[in-house]
Amino acid sequence: MSRHSLHVTVNGEAHAVEVDTRRSLLDLLREDLALTGTQKGCDQGACGACTVHVDGRRVLSCLTLAAQAEGREVTTVEGIGTADELHPVQQAFLDCDAFQCGACTAGQVMSAVALLEEDDWSTRDDVRELMSGNLCRCGAYPRIVDAVLSVRATQEA
Amino acid sequence: MHPFTYTRVDDVEAASAAVTTDAVSRAVQGPDDTVFIAGGTTQLDLMRDGVWSPGTLVDVSRLPLADVELDEDTLVVGAAVTMADLARHEAVADLDVLRDSLLLAASPQLRSMATVGGNVLQRTRCRYFRDPEVTQCNKRRPGSGCAAIEGTARTHAVLGVDAGCIAVHASDLAVALVTLDARVRLHGPDGGRTIPVADLHVRADVDPARDNVLAAGELVTHLEIPVPDARTGYLKVRDRASYEFALTSAAVVARVEDGILAHVAVGLGGVGSVPWRATRAEEVLRGQRASLALFEQAAAAELADAFTVPGTDFKPELARRTLVRQLRDVTEVTA
Amino acid sequence: MTTTTNAPAGTATPVLGAGVTRVDGPLKVTGAVPYADDLAPRDALVGVLVGSTIAAGQISLVDASDALAAPGVVAVISHHDAPSVVRPNEASADERAPRPPFQDATVRFHGDHVAMVVAQTREEAVHAATLLHVSYDVSEPVVDLNDPRATREDDDPAGADSTRGDLERGLAEADVVVAADYVTGDNTNNPIGLFAACAEWDGESLHMWATTQWPSNTADCLAEAWGVPREDVRVECPYLGGGFGSGLRPWPYIHAAAIAAKVVGRPVRVVLSRPQMFTDVGHRPETVQHVRLGARRDGTLTAVEHTATIPVAVDDDNPENVVSGTRQGYAVEHLRADVDQVRLHISPPGSMRAPGEAQGNFALETALDELAVELDIDPVRLRLHNDATTNPDQDDLPWSSKALDQCLRRGAELIGWDDRDPAPRSMRDGDQLIGYGVAAVSFFYFQQPCTVRVVVRRDGTAAVHCAAMDIGTGTYTVVTQVAAERLGLGLGDVEVVLGDSSLPPSPPAGGSGLATAISNAVALAVTAVLDDLDLSGAPGRDALSRAVGARDEVAAEATAEPPDPAEMGMSPSGAFGAKFARVRVDADLGLVRVERLVSVIDCGQVLNERTARSQVIGGAVGGIGHALLEHTVTDLHAGPQTGRITNAHMADYLIAVNADVPDLEVEFVGGPDRLNPVGVKGVGEVGLCGVAAAIGNAVFHATGRRVRRLPITPDLLL
Ligand SMILES: Cc1cc2nc3c(=O)[nH]c(=O)nc-3n(C[C@H](O)[C@H](O)[C@H](O)COP(=O)(O)OP(=O)(O)OC[C@H]3O[C@@H](n4cnc5c(N)ncnc54)[C@H](O)[C@@H]3O)c2cc1C
Ligand code: SF4
Ligand code: FES
Ligand code: FES
Repeated sequence: MSRHSLHVTVNGEAHAVEVDTRRSLLDLLREDLALTGTQKGCDQGACGACTVHVDGRRVLSCLTLAAQAEGREVTTVEGIGTADELHPVQQAFLDCDAFQCGACTAGQVMSAVALLEEDDWSTRDDVRELMSGNLCRCGAYPRIVDAVLSVRATQEA
Repeated sequence: MHPFTYTRVDDVEAASAAVTTDAVSRAVQGPDDTVFIAGGTTQLDLMRDGVWSPGTLVDVSRLPLADVELDEDTLVVGAAVTMADLARHEAVADLDVLRDSLLLAASPQLRSMATVGGNVLQRTRCRYFRDPEVTQCNKRRPGSGCAAIEGTARTHAVLGVDAGCIAVHASDLAVALVTLDARVRLHGPDGGRTIPVADLHVRADVDPARDNVLAAGELVTHLEIPVPDARTGYLKVRDRASYEFALTSAAVVARVEDGILAHVAVGLGGVGSVPWRATRAEEVLRGQRASLALFEQAAAAELADAFTVPGTDFKPELARRTLVRQLRDVTEVTA
Repeated sequence: MTTTTNAPAGTATPVLGAGVTRVDGPLKVTGAVPYADDLAPRDALVGVLVGSTIAAGQISLVDASDALAAPGVVAVISHHDAPSVVRPNEASADERAPRPPFQDATVRFHGDHVAMVVAQTREEAVHAATLLHVSYDVSEPVVDLNDPRATREDDDPAGADSTRGDLERGLAEADVVVAADYVTGDNTNNPIGLFAACAEWDGESLHMWATTQWPSNTADCLAEAWGVPREDVRVECPYLGGGFGSGLRPWPYIHAAAIAAKVVGRPVRVVLSRPQMFTDVGHRPETVQHVRLGARRDGTLTAVEHTATIPVAVDDDNPENVVSGTRQGYAVEHLRADVDQVRLHISPPGSMRAPGEAQGNFALETALDELAVELDIDPVRLRLHNDATTNPDQDDLPWSSKALDQCLRRGAELIGWDDRDPAPRSMRDGDQLIGYGVAAVSFFYFQQPCTVRVVVRRDGTAAVHCAAMDIGTGTYTVVTQVAAERLGLGLGDVEVVLGDSSLPPSPPAGGSGLATAISNAVALAVTAVLDDLDLSGAPGRDALSRAVGARDEVAAEATAEPPDPAEMGMSPSGAFGAKFARVRVDADLGLVRVERLVSVIDCGQVLNERTARSQVIGGAVGGIGHALLEHTVTDLHAGPQTGRITNAHMADYLIAVNADVPDLEVEFVGGPDRLNPVGVKGVGEVGLCGVAAAIGNAVFHATGRRVRRLPITPDLLL
């Protein structure tokens, strides 16, 4: 009754799992699928550390029930690149030193990847505003903006 | 979080049929209640706070209510349309008040989860309400008192409130909607009805324990938003530059003809227990020659009877200034 | 093992300096970085802490019957049945570590640990926690700093109090005296990573994966608490998701995991919730300060008085030196500095990003601005005029390095200081009032012994081992750089292993003291291992490999001890800095937005320009929050909520978001410090200090209104 079976694709891999209905998508990833790259900073939608893509859109996995992900394609930071083959956004974060402790980084990277797919922005201030759903307590913000813009510049070139 | 059952419905009838109590309208939900969940950004948040513990969640986020259509001069927006999708829709490109009320709210991630139906039904952010350990809260426990009156009340309301409860309705979108004379289409077990958004919420000074007028099984299916022949704008004032609710906000719809305010509608956010339509201000403004002095007078009239506590002392003044600024910017009046 | 004091002046060698990318960067951008909770055994049970709902009193009963009956629950632990553990002392000082939980029935603050529920899953544990029935005998808490009933401690735990010359005489010599009170609100560290601890017992041996900025001390304290040999305790924490001081102490949640694992005989994981991060791991205490400055017409300071009142928890210690910057900041003959602590029923305050100095600097540097206005002297000139070229707080010994004057001059140039109209409320752009402000920082020096082991392997590659933490500041990277340079190796040939109490002991990653300690220890250990190998210079991989010969590896340990200032004839310097802000204030709405923020820093030898710059940028962002946004609010009014934090939530406790932060300009000036061979001074905290005062002073310049309170919110400017 308070358990739920679901099918979900994570980073291209199909999973059939049974979960406590209370389980969030975030805890499904971290606890059941051992994908610990996605972080929990507040569990209440107020920090952005848990940002993942669901069907290509950036969402907060802490305020999504695992059950709500039925039939969806979920992409996490582990799904976009590896240390040997970094995604351009991951490479840009490294090059721009756009992090310190790394706790917000998975969320920032996933947010930035989605932002670069969105087309309703152009300026540095737009990036600031549209990356404001990801808190960084280490204060890497200006360097995160640099990273996003450097990827956009390469895309355009 | 208490254990609960989760189901998903595919059509509107099934959704209405599934919900047999009026919990969606009440300030608290218990194990006997079945309620809707759409984006979940209010529903799960309150469950995680331990304030809500419904027995069953009915997921309405995949109902076929995800379209935006322009029907003559009225935008018809499905309740399951996300804030992000509506903000990006070409039909709102020139409707600044609506677009900005969406884009200045929450964060990109939240906007791509949250539905417009859920947004207008979101609950107060009062942290005394949101912590079940707090014993004094008339909204959660009628008759227990209100901890916010002498406590931390910086984000609380000054209009539509009294000493029983000063909770603010924190939606930005709903402020734009009441200002635009928008309506909600409801579907219930006994059929449908359409009511103004302005009649959807219940003021705290009327009944803090009830947040809206939805009957058991009533589902919001659409928003109907008349597109005005006027200039519009939404100004949101907050400490942080983004990702924060309003301290105060002002929605303005105005058409100036030969210096005269031929059409004007005004809403205020961050100050009301419900999305606040500033009818007193409108009375002062309507048909008058637009001027800064008139705007001051209108704003003062609206806030004249504000109910303040030490924590909200500054709010009427900030709200007045917010409104004057936005009237000025929308009308482009300079003196 | 070699134990040596830092080599004397003159031996500084320039270390790479240039911006190497972080060696741990790929792990962090791919999500592969293992934080403490990620290392916990997957079969561990989950523990959830339950906090008190009163601020003071006694627990009369913890009724666990309903909770125990809930699905998945394995145990409920409270003072009724928890094993006794000893309250340890901090290794750093003769200061009491935080109390281990569940040792008595007393409630000392709202949210104090009452019980822990242990269950199979987090969902089950959280739910069962709501079924616990706790009854209390409530007593009346004292939570307000201004409450006359509060006990005032006049001892001086931080060694903060100081008297120089004769204050009254200094004031009598002054042509102008300014005096005012300043208030800074309570702040919470709020690293993004939730703190976590997992404990596993094997007989009497304890293995923990726990968030900490100081594994050595955490292990010491656990060993003392359980009365087991230090070798039988191991604390691992290779990475943490930010600390900002909150990971410096062995907080109760760490003990709670160990207690629970002992009780249930299985590993137990505890992850704090965000609200618990407000009450469980320290916070920056609020302050009420009084500053009185006397000066002659020409700007010469004749007297400085700076007193502060700050809260401390019942039954805890927190040496928070609010006046350290004042004591050493400026050349003034007559000075009185004094910090009083007031005991309150609040969660224990602790270190947060520049503890003491963050708050004290705001008061002093705002007061100086007020003095500049009173004297009609340029605020930059006033500071330069009173620059202390020797340390007035340490027998006027010459500084081991100081370039504050360069910081001020360069900062003024960068921001265009001389192009502004100095008159208050004179610069405007439409609705926006524009203002400029400055503040200077003299950060204190802190160094503790640090031991490092350097291992050279048969193939000529090397490893560096130390218990120290990289809290995101770049320790892995700079240790790699220093070792690589001195061994003549490529960065890829050096493996750095940190964050494990079983490795050679280190000081905390705090007080801006780790980089100095560890880089010098690495330098010494490299010298020692090269001695053992009969090599010198930076021999390179082939020579190292040949020298190791048939052995598997050759290792040497060395400890860098802080030098004795008197012996060295100089006063050890911390970092110096100047901050310049340009703000826009909406004339009607009172909204303050920072448009430019310039930080010019003297931190000695820059070990890695890239990570050092990130630290200063990060500090500046923290400073913007400190100035304009951050405020942990406690309910003060009498009633059941007294002492409860009313905004323990990331949506209500506002830290700066991306949109609050302009591009931040950072420059480094000065050269290698003379005190240690590597020439480094810590850069961790100087970045935050001074930002609040610079912004506040800019708000004054913009509006003509002086706000003597943090945070500076719109309602204060209406
Ligand atoms: C950190 C944070 C910051 C935020 N900032 C802002 C902000 O600045 N401005 C702002 O306006 N909002 C803000 N929000 C609120 C957010 O916009 C709302 O939570 C969201 O819009 C709710 O939509 P949802 O689809 O997630 O609703 P849900 O959470 O799924 O539902 C909300 C309520 O409505 C009911 N419901 C949902 N859909 C229907 C329906 N079709 N018919 C009947 N009942 C229904 C549910 O039962 C529930 O009671 C913020 C939220 C968070 C967490
Ligand atoms: S303001 Fe309303 S919701 Fe908040 S504590 Fe008072 S009664 Fe409860
Ligand atoms: S953990 Fe999801 S927003 Fe903070
Ligand atoms: S890198 Fe530490 S929180 Fe962003």
